Amino acid sequence: MKLKSLVVAAVRQSAANSRKIQSAAFCRKPLRLAGIWIVALAAMCCAAQPAHAAKVRVVTTFTDLADFTREIGGDYVEVRSLATGIEDTHGVPMKPSFVPLLNRADLIVLVGFDCEHAFLPALLEASRNPRIQLGHPGYVDCSKGVTPRDVPKSTDHSEGDVHPYGNPHYLLDPVLAKTAVQNIYNALVAVAPEHEADFTKNRDAYLAKLDAKIAGWEAILAPFKGAKFVSYHEHWPYFADRFGLVYFGTIELKPGIDPTPHHIQELITTMKSEHVPLVVREPQFPEKVPALIAKQTGATLVKLPIMPGGVPNTDTYIAEMDYIVHTVADALKK
Amino acid sequence: MTGQAQETNEVEQLKQQLRQMQENFEKAQNEQRQQINALTQKLDELSKQQQATATVTVAPTNTSAMTDRLKELDDKVDSVVEAQKKTLLSEFNPAIGFVGETIFSQQSKGSPQNGTGYPGGFDVFQRSVELNASASVDPFAKGWVVINGSADADTGETSLDVEEAALQTTSLPWDLTLTAGQFFGEFGRLSYIHDHELPFVNRPLVLDEYVGGESKTPGVQLSWLLPIEHYVNLTAGMGTQFGDSPDAIGSYRSMGAVNYFGRLSTYFDLSPDWQLEGGASWLVNPDTGNVNGETAPNGMTTLTATRRLVLDGDLKLSYVPLRNNQFQSFTWGNEVLYSDNQYLANNGGGNFNETVGAWGMYSYFTYKWSRNWSGGFLFEYTQNNQENAAQTYGYSPYLTWAISHWNQLRLQYTHTQPNAATGNQPNDAVYLQWVWIIGAHSHGWQAR
Repeated sequence: MKLKSLVVAAVRQSAANSRKIQSAAFCRKPLRLAGIWIVALAAMCCAAQPAHAAKVRVVTTFTDLADFTREIGGDYVEVRSLATGIEDTHGVPMKPSFVPLLNRADLIVLVGFDCEHAFLPALLEASRNPRIQLGHPGYVDCSKGVTPRDVPKSTDHSEGDVHPYGNPHYLLDPVLAKTAVQNIYNALVAVAPEHEADFTKNRDAYLAKLDAKIAGWEAILAPFKGAKFVSYHEHWPYFADRFGLVYFGTIELKPGIDPTPHHIQELITTMKSEHVPLVVREPQFPEKVPALIAKQTGATLVKLPIMPGGVPNTDTYIAEMDYIVHTVADALKK
Repeated sequence: MTGQAQETNEVEQLKQQLRQMQENFEKAQNEQRQQINALTQKLDELSKQQQATATVTVAPTNTSAMTDRLKELDDKVDSVVEAQKKTLLSEFNPAIGFVGETIFSQQSKGSPQNGTGYPGGFDVFQRSVELNASASVDPFAKGWVVINGSADADTGETSLDVEEAALQTTSLPWDLTLTAGQFFGEFGRLSYIHDHELPFVNRPLVLDEYVGGESKTPGVQLSWLLPIEHYVNLTAGMGTQFGDSPDAIGSYRSMGAVNYFGRLSTYFDLSPDWQLEGGASWLVNPDTGNVNGETAPNGMTTLTATRRLVLDGDLKLSYVPLRNNQFQSFTWGNEVLYSDNQYLANNGGGNFNETVGAWGMYSYFTYKWSRNWSGGFLFEYTQNNQENAAQTYGYSPYLTWAISHWNQLRLQYTHTQPNAATGNQPNDAVYLQWVWIIGAHSHGWQAR
């Protein structure tokens, strides 16, 4: 408040001085006006520095992480997600409007395993917020404690846009998502230890709710153990592992590389011979090729979100997983 | 006596009977022991056979499962260890990448009449081979180097040039960032972007004319992100050279002979999918120190540059749909520059000061309709900043095929229409640009 008062006083002083601008005495002292403005700007700068507010300011890269943070943090956190839910995880636009958000954030919560490599490093650099840079406590990598799948033996670009640390789409396995919940909890407790009891209560309640849902989801998909499916991008191996399904392959030729006609034909042939009954399209990818493959193979085409908000009525992680599990089960019943 | 004899017989009979019974017992015992031994032996053999059978049927299954599980765990551990090794091996090395750029061209007019810098007719031009290296210097700064091997478009003469070698702070207070060394100073929209990142083949004519191509400057630059909720960034800097113009200073440089530049940029979310970015830039060198040497544009008047002033405004409207921006987008970019240079003129009748006001602009749009394909159109207009009556128009449709993120082909046709005052002739050109990247490459904030 004192700083804001200083700004107001400086501006008022400047305005008062401007009324005297015609006085010869003032004209002989042009540095005075400049000095006042410099003080005012410096005071504005200091006043707007992110001194600890009542709420912990959290920016997450994706909507599932925002949902977890809200569940744990409750009223003690102010959460913004860079993605709205409909974006590709590797294609969130680098909007300059994200920069002020990140500049004031106490925590940046990310998936990790290089999932956000296309946009987050540049945004973090532009944010000029040392608290949330890599290696600082405000940089919350939710992959900590998750054993990655499909770690490439080579990161040569002949393999496409590979993730050097392994497949980063572990949040589609709700059991591994619990690790992310725990990592967020740890970060919130570290930044606001005075609320630890509430964070603990909220985390436990959410994990209990999630555990109950996981049991239900496993029961729903239990009859379809061993069922094979393909998807556009390699989003689903962790999901398949969790629910006993078999991830058969991708429509993309390689990560980030569109399919060639030869690859499509080869995929259709092997899907037919292996009786693959399901084609998954993530909403951010074009429908044309997945629809063609489904038609040629007789498989059922479904559209599945990769984060909350990806399709209507999936605003929370549990709602998203509910939608995914029921959609897959319904498709496999056919 | 007879009684004693009878008792003796009975005793003997009883003894004999006992011996007989003992013998029978021992015999039966032996037989039974033999039977027991035989049965025991048989039982042992049967047990061994059963165990052997059980081993054959059960053990392999357990072993197989265990082996598979161990192999799976081994693979996982190996993969994690391998990933760690990859990180560790390059832990202290900077991220290094190469960019290669080859341009095939066909010009209808020869150089210099075409005004493009390319020779007439067919040409293959390795415009650049660029080595990039960047890394953190310490907890407070990062550094980067860009070394460019390039050939002169007209003569083919090759040269190696340090385009950038700079250090930038990462933890200054008050949202400040300081850059020092040789770098591309923030001016306008496309001046500080490397050739291969341009949305078309050649840098717009007006940027070549007024800035000198890329905004390369040896100097220092301070950037401030204003501490407000709206994105506003203010940059100011100074450098002894700005752009590709030679810095032909003499033996002493006053502070007045230094280039001072700055840029104010902001951004608006018009909707989740539509974005508007704008900026204003300025560049002044109060005493150019004969930066551009002497010129005689009309063969009448000799001009010696004495002050350089360039003002710039840029605006970019973008459609970047959140859901599928990797497959569809639209960009409309515009930049207008005004040059107000001062010259010491001599028309044979004595020296006098002359100020030449000139302006130029470019406007382009690019539409992307798939992950691999995009196309657009560039319109250009520029006045010569020493002789504003000399004007050139340019029209360039272009088509880009991004085979992958690291491999891109672009086909462009350009018609340039200079007026007579330029001394050039109308020219038709076709360019095929091939850009490839190996190693580390990331688009930073400026090239977004």
